[in-house]
Parts: sequence; structure tokens; C-alpha cells
Amino acid sequence: MGAIPFRRTDQPVSQPSLWSLSKRLLRAVYRSYIFRVTVQGILTLWVVTTCTFYMIRKMPNNPIEVKIDEFQTKQNLTYEEARSKVAGLFDYDPDAPFIEQYTDYMGNLVQGDLGRSITTGRTPVSQQIAKYLPWTLFAVGLGLLISFVIGMIAGAAMAYWRGTVFDNVMTAFASISYGIPDFVIAFMILLIGGIQLELFQVGDYIGSVDPEIKAGFNPEYIRSLLQHVLLPVTTYVLASVGGWMLTMKSSTISTLGEDYITVAHARGLSQRRILFGYVGRNAMLPLMTRLAISVGFVLSGSIIIEYIFIYPGLGKYLFEMTGKRDYTTIQGIFLVTSAAVVISNILADLLYGVLDPRVRVGSK
Amino acid sequence: MAGKEVVLSVQDLSITYLTRRGRLQAVSHVSFDLHRGETLALIGESGCGKSTLNFGLMRLLPKNANTDTGKIVYTDRAGQKIDVLALNTRSLRKFRWSECAMVFQGAQNSLNPVIHVRDMIYDTANAHGLNNRGEVRERALELFRKVRLDPERVFNSYPHELSGGMRQRVLIALGLLLNPQVVIFDEPTTALDILTQRSILNVLRDLKEELGFSSIFISHDLAVAAEIADTVATMYAGEIVEMGPVNDIFYEPRHAYTLGLMEASPRLSVGREELDGIPGSPPDLVELPTGCKFHIRCPFAIETCKTTPPQLEQASIGHIVACYKSSEVLEKGKELRSVSSTARVARLS
Repeated sequence: MGAIPFRRTDQPVSQPSLWSLSKRLLRAVYRSYIFRVTVQGILTLWVVTTCTFYMIRKMPNNPIEVKIDEFQTKQNLTYEEARSKVAGLFDYDPDAPFIEQYTDYMGNLVQGDLGRSITTGRTPVSQQIAKYLPWTLFAVGLGLLISFVIGMIAGAAMAYWRGTVFDNVMTAFASISYGIPDFVIAFMILLIGGIQLELFQVGDYIGSVDPEIKAGFNPEYIRSLLQHVLLPVTTYVLASVGGWMLTMKSSTISTLGEDYITVAHARGLSQRRILFGYVGRNAMLPLMTRLAISVGFVLSGSIIIEYIFIYPGLGKYLFEMTGKRDYTTIQGIFLVTSAAVVISNILADLLYGVLDPRVRVGSK
Repeated sequence: MAGKEVVLSVQDLSITYLTRRGRLQAVSHVSFDLHRGETLALIGESGCGKSTLNFGLMRLLPKNANTDTGKIVYTDRAGQKIDVLALNTRSLRKFRWSECAMVFQGAQNSLNPVIHVRDMIYDTANAHGLNNRGEVRERALELFRKVRLDPERVFNSYPHELSGGMRQRVLIALGLLLNPQVVIFDEPTTALDILTQRSILNVLRDLKEELGFSSIFISHDLAVAAEIADTVATMYAGEIVEMGPVNDIFYEPRHAYTLGLMEASPRLSVGREELDGIPGSPPDLVELPTGCKFHIRCPFAIETCKTTPPQLEQASIGHIVACYKSSEVLEKGKELRSVSSTARVARLS
């Protein structure tokens, strides 16, 4: 805040000029939190877009070459024959100068156009994303929610009863969960549960929904939806819950050692009030940033999990499109993912302010 | 103090911690009576068991601590005796803060950083069945006024919005919220600057006069103890080695350790520039020395001190001491005092 000039009331007050008014407005905008994070976010997205744009084009092969390869192997054509066949197929010129491709793409992007897919019949990328996104949001979102909630409760409980058998068992479990990669867990579920022990028919649980059931808000459809999401979600939870548990445990242990917890006991507060209002709330703070990042990455799905369970989410789609070198689609999915990360980080900032008054944004 | 009724009586209290190296004797065979309106100061070096003793009085010790022997008996306002060590979880929770409150050292960290001061007040009141927010608020604002805080502003603040001195005052007010009979002050003025210390001490003295609670005051600042206490107890290696009225202890110490503490503290009225520390450090509480625990560091020590621990004995009215050489210590103290005042006179002339 600049110093307000002292003005005597009996002097005529000059009308503020349009220039000074707009200057003040600009300054207010510049100072506002929303403006700053928006500019930061846009800059981040621009950098990410530019980097991915460059890097995916530096990957070996391009969409045309990949398709030529495919024709060669599948239809036993010579390189020349395959090449002439592919030529008319794609509306993409790999030999166009990089800078030209970049300006074209960015030009469309600022108008809100993510471009059209190179390899799948020129469908708009935004339309493709809209088709696959809900599946991912459902599966990974559900997985994250479950794993976060279980992780918080179990981690706090482990800290509370630390040193007991319960704590040791849970810590061992958490370390294993944290250490084993998600695809190993996915295979183990399929191979051990589905094939060796024959606990379930693998075919009934992979894919999206039973195609014979009419989509809509009816019990069979919802049942089928949940049945098919069960394995991906279980895998995701098993693979990520350990991380949440261990982080929450250590955060809770350090909170339990704080003086204000002893004081709360001395004040005769009930266990429940201490656990939720004093321990829980403070222990959760360091995990909010991590949660925000995880929420952001929900959109990119869990590529390998979706792929193994043939779940039609954004992650599996990204994997396929990367194989085909469909530049515009890859680009589009990356952009949406990074936008999600940026936005959820801003939300986390605001949420953090609600939870921790010491860092309240824009407070006086 | 002898004529007044006893509010808190501690008998033969021993507390040990279980550590990897063995049993750590933090408090051993401590007994004292606290009378209504009395302030008992506990002095001694760090690691002498002062804080453990006080946590023990409220049963706030960590899980690895064990109260081996002893009895802690409070007498509530109705004259009912409460055996603290026999209380179950539920009654213990009710007992805490309403009968015996505690103002901790390190006010910076004693308040939950994520909730308002007012919510901490309401939480405390709620836990003891006071659900009328209006009344609780009035009581809190009145206490804030008494500890010289801006009541409305502080009531609606978050802890981080207050300075260290203000937080300490909030804690004092919070401690008095339920009108407890005994308040334990665990070094309430450490970590505060000297002016803030002064005003906190003034606040405490006024409050004590007005509300008439008894208090136990832990301090390693002898000047502070001398100012606020009625009775002073010196603790060494978990034992009370000397206890008596404040003037007796400060002017006629009879235990070598008490005398050592006096000689190690600066006094404005005395012109000596060098302070004599006590050589060595407090003993290992896992492997305690035989005999008098202070004999290794004691300039008065004789053979008996190394083998047989001295018992607490009456030295004068209300003054007890556990030292074989208490009369020599007394003489030495008098001599030192006269030397230092001679030195002062010599310097002035």
C-alpha cells in the first residue's frame, strides 16, 4: 500500500484523470492473487506445451513411418508400396519445418482448438479426450479417493499406536505396497486371482462395461460399471495406499510430539476432540500438496493399469496414440493433464489457506 | 503457611523412565505439602526432575514413565480428597485443568496453530461441561483483561497473530479459565525478553492475590523464584535436598547445592564480577552415585557423604535439609555474603 497523501479538505479536489484511474486499476489487478496465479499457470502451460511439442517430434519415427511399418509387416508390402498407400491416408507432412508446425499449432491453440488427430480419421482431439476422460476420472478418481481416505486413517492410527503389533504389521504392508509397482500388482491379481485360483472370470472384469447392457441410470448398468472398475481401482489403491499411510504416519508422529497436544491433554479435552481438531488437522497439512499433485495426475490416468485391464481411459488411449506417434493427440492429452495439475495446485493453495491460517492467501 | 489447609499433598513420590540403558530415576522419594494460596518454587539445574515431577502431578507423563511409589492427594473445595494416581481415565480428564492447570514453558508452541484462541477456550470449557458460550466468553474476556490483553482482539485471533508475551498471557488466562486450585507454572518466563518477563511476573502476582490459587513454580532463574515464591525447594538428581521459606533459603542456605546455585547467579546488588559455577554436571540418572548424590561435585564432601545418603532433617522452623555439613554450609554462606558486601564497599570507596 502506498502512503495516502495528506490532503486538506478545504482545498479543491481535482477530478482523477482517466489515466490515473486506469493505472490504479492495473496495479490492483497486478497485485491480485488470481491474476498472479493465472499468469503463472499460463506460462507453465506454454512451457510444457513447447517442450512436449519439441520432444515428441524428436522421438524416433513419425506417424507416417509407423503406418508404413505396419503395412509392411501386416500386408507383406515392400517399403515403396506401403509408402504410396500411406501417402494419401494422413493429412500430415513430416518434412514441414519445425517452426512452421509450431506456429500453426500454437495459432490454433490460442483459439481454443486442440487440432485434429493425425491417425484416427481427423477426429478433433478435444472430442477424443471428452470420450475417454470420464472413464479415467471415474476409475482413478475413485481409486485416489479410497486410497487417500484409507491412508489418512490408517497412517494416523499407526502413529497413535506406534510400536504395537498393529503398527508393525501395517508398516510392513505399507512398505510392500509402496515398493511394488502397480503393474506387478495388476498382473498378480489377474494371474493368481483370475487364472490360478479361478476366483473370478477375467473376461467379466476387464474392459469398460458389458456391451449388452443398455447405458443409463439403471441398476444393471451401474453394477456392470462397478464390476469392471473394481480391478483397476483395487490395483491403484494397493499400489498407492502405502505411500499415503507412511507419509501420514510420520506426519502424525511429529504432530503428536508437539506441545499443544500435551497441553490439550492437560486441559482435559476428550480423545476425540484431540484426535480430530488437534492431531488430525495439523498432521494433514503437509499432505495437501501431495494430494493436489495426485488429483492433477488423475487425468492422465494410470497408463499401465488401464492398459492391462483394457480399461478405456485416457491413459490407455495416450499409450496407444504414443505408439502411433499421433502428435496432436499426445499433445492434447499432455496439455489437459498439465492444466489439471496447475489448476489443482492453485486449488490446493486456496484449500491450504482454509486449513492453515498461517498461510492464508490474501489475508490482511 | 503452616496454619493453612493443605491443597496438594505429595508423599514419597518416585518416577522412573524405562530407557534402553535401564531404569532412569527421574524423581525419587519426593514429599511436600502445598497450602492454600502458597507458591512453591522448584529450583535446580536442567535435568533435575523438576518438569517430570510436575507432569507426574497431572499424570501427563509419557508411556515409558512409571510412577513407582508414592501418593498424590488433592483436596477439592468441598474438602473431598482426590487420590490422583487412583483416578480412572474419565475422572482424570475431569480433574485436569478444573482442579490443577498448567502453564507450560515455550508458549510459542502450546497453542494449536490452526484454530482460533476462542475455540481453544470453548474446547476447554466444553470438555468440562460448560456449554454456555456466552458465559464462557465473558469469563475469558475478563481473564484477558486481568492479564492485560486487549480482550476482544485476542479472543478472535489465531495464535500466530500474537507475540510471544501475548501468547504466554493467553496461556495463563486459559489456565485460570476453570478457576483451578493449583496452577503449575513450568518456566513461564523463559524465552521471553526481560521487560515481558517483568510484566508477566507482575500479572502473576496480582492474579494470585486476587484469585487465591496455589501454585508450583518451576524456574532456574533464582531471581524470579525469589520474587514470586513463598516456599522454595531445591531439587538435585530427582530429590528435594532442601526446602524452606523463601527468605531462609536465599539468606541462609544449608545445602551445598543450594549455596552453589546462589553463587552461580548474578546479583545486581553485589559488585563481584566473576560468578562461581558448580563444577561438573548433574549425575547420570541411570547409574546414580552412592551416598549423597551431590558428593562428587561438593566442596564440603566427607567420607560419610560417599557411602550413606543423608536424610532430610529439620533445620529450623519449616526448613528441612539433607546435608551432613549443613552448619558449615550455613557459615560459608554468611562468610561469602559478608565478603561480597565488603568487596562492594571497598569498590565504592
